[in-house]
Amino acid sequence: MFGYHDVEGFQAEIGEYRIRTEKVGPFYRYFRENGDRTEKDLSVEKGRLIINPVEPVNMPKSITNFLQIKFSKPFFVEPKSAIEVYATFPVEIAVFIAAKKSVGIVDIFSLQKPKYTLYGNPRDGIICRYWESDLYSEIPQVDKYREGVIKLRIVNSDDEWIEISNAVFDVYGMKIYYDEEIVYSSASINILSPKVAETRFIEQPLKEKMRKALELYTARRIAVTALKFVMEWGL
Amino acid sequence: MIDVLNYKIYGDVTVYDVIVVIIVMAFATIIAKLVTTNLRRALIDKMKRDQLELMLKVIYFGIIIIAFVAVLPVLGLELSGLLVAGGITGIVLGFASQSVVANLVSGIFLIWEKPIKIGDQVNIDGVAGFVEDVNILSTIIRTYDGLYIRIPNEKVFTSNITNYVAHVARRFEYVVGIRYSDDAEKAIEIIKNLIEEHPFALKNPEPQVFVDSLGDNSVNIAVRIWTPSTEWYSVKMELLWKIKTELERNGIEIPFPQRVVWFANELRANVEGKKEGRQA
Repeated sequence: MFGYHDVEGFQAEIGEYRIRTEKVGPFYRYFRENGDRTEKDLSVEKGRLIINPVEPVNMPKSITNFLQIKFSKPFFVEPKSAIEVYATFPVEIAVFIAAKKSVGIVDIFSLQKPKYTLYGNPRDGIICRYWESDLYSEIPQVDKYREGVIKLRIVNSDDEWIEISNAVFDVYGMKIYYDEEIVYSSASINILSPKVAETRFIEQPLKEKMRKALELYTARRIAVTALKFVMEWGL
Repeated sequence: MIDVLNYKIYGDVTVYDVIVVIIVMAFATIIAKLVTTNLRRALIDKMKRDQLELMLKVIYFGIIIIAFVAVLPVLGLELSGLLVAGGITGIVLGFASQSVVANLVSGIFLIWEKPIKIGDQVNIDGVAGFVEDVNILSTIIRTYDGLYIRIPNEKVFTSNITNYVAHVARRFEYVVGIRYSDDAEKAIEIIKNLIEEHPFALKNPEPQVFVDSLGDNSVNIAVRIWTPSTEWYSVKMELLWKIKTELERNGIEIPFPQRVVWFANELRANVEGKKEGRQA
């Protein structure tokens, strides 16, 4: 269901949501229903709907651009080493309308209940979207409409054994890829000291034919300056 | 007409020169307005509002000051002479208008120290609301009732300022009273589940729910929840009613004030016959 669709006569079911469009006079009307109904009129003659996973920081409303993945169990990393593990992240789904070489956001929804947390202290810390995940040595099987899989390359540059129990990312640099089976992203965590690490997303799909998701910050034209985040309030 | 234009007002400065200065200054003001209006439209969703307003003010007054300095020679004034005159004038004005100078200095310190920013929710000397603007001489507050209040910067600078959104997260507290006959542990569990369900009740710092005191009429459960500062009021409004209804749905009630009265002598009453009345 992720992908590009003609706006005319569009109809789809994603989890408990049913989304569709209807021609109403000179424009189209967009519906999203799951008991409640969301409607929006689209003033477009001929366009396409793009449905894809986006950066998971928009529900129920956008208050931050940071995502914290809390590991279910702390991960102990040996000195001067690098390891690749997999975790999950929450999926939020955006519906874009594309016409005349321009893209607009029609709707964002999610099958996951959002939760937020504070990373750091109330004075200098940051509010993050909270997500708890196990760490896997192989790609876990998940429902692509609910959870994505993120490959974490954890590099311990320090001379000590270091325990890491969470990772915080600036999702404005998040690259999400999808196909029929999986929603995927990739990131690195470079541990600099027992309390400091640097995280960044990596532009790397799992498979060659995966489609890159349209990013919200591109659609909203927000200037992105820093794509990495320095975790300085503990690992 | 030409004679009027050539009429000398003072020194070599003619009416024509003054008109040129007025036109240039008006033109500069229009240019400054146009530039700042277009910049505001272009950058309003790309910059923080307080930073944007500060930048626009610098640009607006920068254009006007540059235009003013440029037309000074037309008026027969030299910049070096003006600086000396300005220094002397400044001292005179300073003595003459101490409160204005105090507000000005306070304004500069406020802009430098930044205890408040445009858009913040604050309480300054009992005036609570949103900061609309921080000018050189005064600070503008829009109260929660929508009233416009101008506070001189000197007062802002010397008052206690409570900035409700200076920190990213803040805590609020409820006290929920339940009957002595109710299961407090069950009530705590219900409240914790409700907090967990709410997206903006922060996971960390962890919410606290505990029996705080054994009151006269109820067992008092303290509920402390951290939320993003921008969301605390809506979370506070939403959760209290949800807690009340969910507790009642589970048979836990919030008691009215009550008092147990013990009579020294045996109490006798006849509730059937109205005629007989009450006997005690």
